[in-house]
Formats: sequence, C-alpha cells, structure tokens
Amino acid sequence: MLIELTDIRREYQVGTEVVHALDGVSLGIARGEWVAIVGQSGSGKTTMMNVIGCLDTPTGGRYVLNGKDVSRMNDDELADIRNKEIGFVFQNFQLLPRETSLANVELPLVYRGLSAKERREKAIAALKKVKLDNRMMHKPTELSGGQRQRVAIARALASEPSLLLADEPTGNLDSATGEEIIRLFEELHGLGHTIVLVTHEPRLAARCPRAVRLSDGKVIGDGPGQDVAWQDRAQPSAHPAEAPVAS
Amino acid sequence: MSLRVDLIEGFRIAVKSLRNYRVRTALTTVGIGIGVATLLAILGITQGLDTSFEKQLASLGSSSVYVSKHPWVQMGNWWEFRNRKRIDLAQVEAVRNQCTLCEAVAPILDEQEDVYFMDQQLAAVEIDGTTGDYLAVSGFETVRGRFLTETDNESRRAVAVIGADVVDTFFKDSDPIGATIRLGTKPFTVVGTLSRKGKILDQSQDLCVIIPFGTFQGYFKGRQSIDIGIKVKSPEELEQAEDQLVGILRRVRQTPPDKPDDFAINKPEQLASTYQQLTGALYGVALGIGFITLLVGGIGIMNIMLVSVRERTREIGVRRALGARKRTIIAQFMLEATVVSAVGGALGTVVGLGGAKVISLVSPLAATVKPLTIVFGVGFAALVGLVFGIWPAARAANLDPVEALRQE
Ligand SMILES: Nc1ncnc2c1ncn2[C@@H]1O[C@H](COP(=O)(O)OP(=O)(O)OP(=O)(O)O)[C@@H](O)[C@H]1O
Ligand SMILES: [Mg+2]
Repeated sequence: MLIELTDIRREYQVGTEVVHALDGVSLGIARGEWVAIVGQSGSGKTTMMNVIGCLDTPTGGRYVLNGKDVSRMNDDELADIRNKEIGFVFQNFQLLPRETSLANVELPLVYRGLSAKERREKAIAALKKVKLDNRMMHKPTELSGGQRQRVAIARALASEPSLLLADEPTGNLDSATGEEIIRLFEELHGLGHTIVLVTHEPRLAARCPRAVRLSDGKVIGDGPGQDVAWQDRAQPSAHPAEAPVAS
Repeated sequence: MSLRVDLIEGFRIAVKSLRNYRVRTALTTVGIGIGVATLLAILGITQGLDTSFEKQLASLGSSSVYVSKHPWVQMGNWWEFRNRKRIDLAQVEAVRNQCTLCEAVAPILDEQEDVYFMDQQLAAVEIDGTTGDYLAVSGFETVRGRFLTETDNESRRAVAVIGADVVDTFFKDSDPIGATIRLGTKPFTVVGTLSRKGKILDQSQDLCVIIPFGTFQGYFKGRQSIDIGIKVKSPEELEQAEDQLVGILRRVRQTPPDKPDDFAINKPEQLASTYQQLTGALYGVALGIGFITLLVGGIGIMNIMLVSVRERTREIGVRRALGARKRTIIAQFMLEATVVSAVGGALGTVVGLGGAKVISLVSPLAATVKPLTIVFGVGFAALVGLVFGIWPAARAANLDPVEALRQE
C-alpha cells in the first residue's frame, strides 16, 4: 500500500463546538491506483486531501505514506515529504502570477536543492508531458484556463512524486477543457502514476476505476467509480433499495 | 535544503519582488535613505569639526597659560569678575621674578584698531602690546626682520611686528620691513613679520599687529587689566607651575585666605573641554535625530513587509505546499527587507556625502567623512532591515499552509 489511513480524525474547535471534519477514516490506496473522492459539500474531501498531502496534520489516527509514519512528523520533515512524495494540483491552479510557466514548474525542484541545469531539464520534460513545451516563457496571465491547469499538473509531475493529488482539477474549467484535463489524467494513470482526485462531478468520478464517498467525515462508500459516483442521487429518492451498495 | 540554497534562492526572490513592486521599493528605500543620509551628513560635519579643531588647538601651544582677571569661559558672577582688582605690572614682575617653573613671562594688553597702509585699510585688527617674551609664549615665529626687544619697550618705540594676514593684505608686492603703517592715526615702522598660525573656531590668529608694551600704554588706554602670558619650562610640570602661579598671585594681590582666587589661569585645554562639551551635546542630539529617522525608516520597512506578507499569503501557501521549509520563507522575507534597506543605505550614503560636501563648500564647516563611516551607513541600514524584517518574516513562515492557500 502506498497510502494507509487508520482511523484518521481531524477536529476543529469552533467556539465551544467540536467539528469533526474527518471522523475516523480508514483507507488504503495502492501504488498505481486512480481514486476519486466524492461527497457533498462539507463532507471532508478537502480536509482528507490536505491530510493525504501532508499539508494538514490529523488530530488522531495513523497515516503511513510509502512506509513512513507521517502523522507524527515535524514541520520540516513534512515540508520535505511534500516536496519529494507529493504532487499537488489545486482547484484554482495556484500558480505564481509573475513567474513564467517554466519557473512555476521549476519551483518544487528549487526547494529540492537541484542545480539550475537539472531543474530546467526536469521542468521541460514535465511541460512536454502536458504538451505545453511551446508556452514555457509565458506567464499564467498569458495562458488559457486549460493551459494554466496543465502548467499546474506539469509542476506536480516535475518532482516525480509517488502521489499525484488533485482537488477539483476541472472545477474552474468549461466542459471541453475539463475533458482535456481528464484525458491527461487518464494518460498519466496509464503511465503508472498514482492519482487521488477530489471531484463533485459524478460523470468524472464514474470514469475513475475506484471512488470513495465521504459523508460527515466518514467513508460511506468505496468501490468502482460507476457504482459510487451516483450513490448520493439515489439516497434522497423514495427507493433506497435501488442505490448501489458500497463494497 | 541547505542554508546556502536558502540564501541564494531567497536573494533571487528578493531582487525579483523588489523589481516587481517598484514604487513600494522606491518609497521604502527613500525612507531608509533619508535616515542614513542624515546620519552621515551629521557624522561628516562633526568629524570635520573635530579634526580642524584639534589642529587649531595645537597652534595655541600646550605649555602656555594666560593669567587674566576673567576666565575665558565665563561661568559665574559677572559683577564679581568686573569688580576684581586689575592685574598690573607689579604683579607681572612678581610672577617673572618668583615663578621658578616659568620659562617666559610676557605682559599683554590688547585693543582692536583699524590699520592703514598707504591707501589700504584693515578693520578691527588685534593690536597686542607686549614684550620680547611673547614670542616664546605665543608660539609665533618671526619670518622676516626681528621681534620686539627690551629697548623697543623701554624707549617706547613706534615699531610693529605684523601678522601673516596683514602681510598678505598690505605687502603683496612690496617689502614690509621698514614700511610705515598707521594704527588709527599713529604711524608705526614695521620691523618684522610673523609666521602663520591659522584659525581658531573660525577666528584668524594672524590678523594682528604686535607693538612694544610701553608704546601701547602710551598710545592706548593704559589702565586696563594686563593679561600675563606664561610659557612653562616643561609641559609635564604644568600643574605644579599653576600652583606656583596661584600662590604668587594671591600673595601679591593680597587675596584674603578665606576668599577664592580673584583671577583666572586660562589654558587652551579649557577651550578644548568647553568645545567638547558643546559638540558632544550637539553630536548626541544629531545622532539621536539620525537614529530616530532610521527607526522611522525601519518601521516603514516593517510596515511594507507586513503588507507584502499579507498580499503574498497565497504565494507563501504555494511555496510551503511545494516543500519550502519555514526557515526558507523566513530567509526570503528577511533578505527582501535587508536588500531594500541596503539599497536605501547606499543611496542615502551618496546623498549624505553629497550633503556634507555641499555644506563644507557653502559654510566654514569642514566636512570630512572617514571611509569607515560609509561602511557603517550601508551596514547599519542593512541591519535595520534585518531587524525590522524579523517579525514580518516570522509571520509569513508561521502561516498555516492550508489557510494560506484558501486566501483569495
Ligand atoms: N479551519 C476550519 N475551521 C473549522 N472548521 C473547518 C475548517 N476547515 C474545515 N472545516 C469544517 O470541516 C468540514 C469539512 O470541510 P472540507 O473543506 O473538508 O469539506 P469539502 O468536502 O471539501 O467541501 P466542499 O465540497 O464544499 O469543498 C466542514 O464542515 C467545514 O466546516
Ligand atoms: Mg473542498
């Protein structure tokens, strides 16, 4: 297993109340898998993504990534894990607006301490993977939405991470551009990358080999994408029996 | 990641963001620059004052003292000074005969008078009536001709020895020796010229005419209190000589034992210490102003950096998410503050040095800036940036990456 979450909890103290953003999540993801995380707004998808990505520290439970227990690591160690093991693709691109595509893609490699030459080579290779090597010197404002998201994906790929994390990667894109990005993920999956992707679009989740459904910080469904993707549509209906049951 | 990479990368980001936010950088730079400029100009002027004053004091001679009715630096009861018994020739004689530690003793009377030569005039020239011993006391040397003699004094001859400024004005292209000048209406024959001593606190010591003591008494008001110029045998015995002088003078002036001295022994050192008190206070105030200006500049930098951190919260979040450690972020922002300040310091140095130069050109103040002062200026500015960058940088580094990324 690449990812092993055991009884992960993430609690927030809001005034006198305790919000359980993640309420005992246990989950395993193997190397090379492509998993979609779905669920209603506020169900804990982003929180889970941040925990998996080592951006956020769980308040309880055990998280083993690539054989290393990260739930008890200090801030510097987490930063290094993020740098080496994780490739983030954020919902709203999160590119540095004043830097070129190339410089943006090089950024994680800078923090790895690579030489300028190595950085450049790896960044160009990553931009080639997303077919954007003809826009290297453009700044984000000079790119279309789909192109920006591809730069963001190239940045996530550049450091050759064990794990690619994408939070709503098509959320800000029109459907045609979104399709283009999904094709790219399919391709990357085909190349053997491990991908965890948060989405609220059932049509996208349905195309993933595996989907996990969250509700109120708990896993309530885990199975093939087609099955889990439409689960919530069935729930409010008058015939609960028709809903596909999570495995 | 190593510290070296932190610094190189931090520096690159710092320079880049300075270029990206030009107006802000310029304003911050100006703030710190004004501080450094003020500080440097002040330091330059005071250093200039010090060096020129040291030279001036040396010209007075460190082994001479001057006995007068009043102290040079008057502190105390003016009325009491005024009512003191005058110093007369009998007292001068007593000092000359009894002071074993004294090498030369000269009575001095002085007056200001306009001096004429042919159709030329010099206004308010210092006229000193004294004896041959004055040469040793004053530290002057005769350049041409001779100094006053005892015969000049006794016969009340109308002869004069003239200072370098008088020579320069009257005798550019004629021989002063043997020429006749007039002090007021009275004709005098020039018998010698004096070496140049320079200025003290902007007052020339070379605008003078020295005439025999007896002649002076005959020509000008004769009942003034006399100053006694004394050169001691060795500078090391200056204090003993002073004690001896006090004893002699109290005795001959019949100062009651229970009363303080009713005369003053003046020394060039007194001037020096008064001067140092004066400039010390000035220096302190000026430095204070400079530091406050720098402090204001530093707070300006802190303010700008805090704004910068807030504006770039998302950038910080992105960098943290991609693997930047806290100390990398700290290095980035502290370097940014330091670079802005150092650039400001460099600009301020140029302006400050220019200012000091201009002041030395348009005013009698001589501004000299030691090279170390420049290093100090730039270094201090950078330090200000470093110190005032700490807090904003720490705030940036302690942002929660999740929260930072969520910022709009
Ligand atoms: N910083 C916080 N402080 C308090 N509560 C929080 C905080 N962050 C998240 N939560 C709570 O945790 C729960 C899960 O939030 P999360 O952002 O993970 O939801 P989500 O599934 O990503 O929702 P969406 O689809 O709207 O993005 C929510 O109820 C939210 O209110
Ligand atoms: Mg979310």
